[in-house]
Amino acid sequence: MSEHVVLFAGPMGAGKTTAIQSLSEVPVVLTEAANSDRVTADKPTTTVALDYGVLTLGGDEQVRLYGIPGQRRFNFMWSLLKRRATGMVLLVHNDAPRPFDAMLEYLDEFGDLYRKGGIVIGVTRTDVSSRPLLPDYSEVLHQVHPDKTIPVFAVDPRDARSVGLALMVLVANLEMRAAFVRDPEAVPV
Amino acid sequence: MTAAHRDAAVIDAAASTLADLSGLSRSLRHVAVVTDDGFEVVRRPETAPADGRLASMASSIQALTDAVAYELQLGTAKSVIIASETGHVIQMRVPGHQLVMVALFDENETLGMALSMLRVAAERLAAVLDAGPVRSVA
Repeated sequence: MSEHVVLFAGPMGAGKTTAIQSLSEVPVVLTEAANSDRVTADKPTTTVALDYGVLTLGGDEQVRLYGIPGQRRFNFMWSLLKRRATGMVLLVHNDAPRPFDAMLEYLDEFGDLYRKGGIVIGVTRTDVSSRPLLPDYSEVLHQVHPDKTIPVFAVDPRDARSVGLALMVLVANLEMRAAFVRDPEAVPV
Repeated sequence: MTAAHRDAAVIDAAASTLADLSGLSRSLRHVAVVTDDGFEVVRRPETAPADGRLASMASSIQALTDAVAYELQLGTAKSVIIASETGHVIQMRVPGHQLVMVALFDENETLGMALSMLRVAAERLAAVLDAGPVRSVA
């Protein structure tokens, strides 16, 4: 059985826990605590360690889904989980104060996952805020990371098909790299 | 409602509890009360690092422990013990509150005694908070 370890990263309130709950075929391991920081994200709970779920693709392929805490003060968990991961779905909510900054910050933090396997970006809450547009994200990516090809999707974390599409693109990328490159670190970036 | 780490009543009660606890053991190197989501309410000694890292880590550990206890249908985890070569870290939930007490004892304190002291302190803090006008929320 082949296995992929995929991180769901992004700022607080982007929908990481919801996305994993939508995708996982097993009860998700949650580490939610009452949220004291209602200024950053007005929601009752927040992830303080990880979320964990599993999705089986076909008969012999499994994706382990790990959600990381969105708050930087838990970045020791980022380091721990990043070591195991082969790819990342980066969720950014479109109604965030500075969504491009958030996207770029996480790409800096998890940039080595691009070399290890791949990254896709899911823009959430486009129903709440219609701007910026998806091409705006791609344009910023192109300006800052002209050497990287990172797909951008509009994603509804509540919808398994929606978030699943972004995940499938990532998994296809991981498999392609595994098939053609024995050492993923050798892939030119 | 005011978050626990900004609530003067909670801060005062926690500070008083930790002051009493600190007088009980010379082996107590560091102790703090933190919220479930990793904000420090108060710490002793006050000269200890204030970067919030211990509070965040304690929060993660507590949540992971709770997840294991839930998975095994054991209820809520009351305490966590990290026994290491040169001391032990003990985390104790403040009963009925979204607060955790985390303490580092050196190797000169027995684990049983450290656990007992921390449990009593956590229960006392809970009693003070329950009796006060403001109930802590994280």
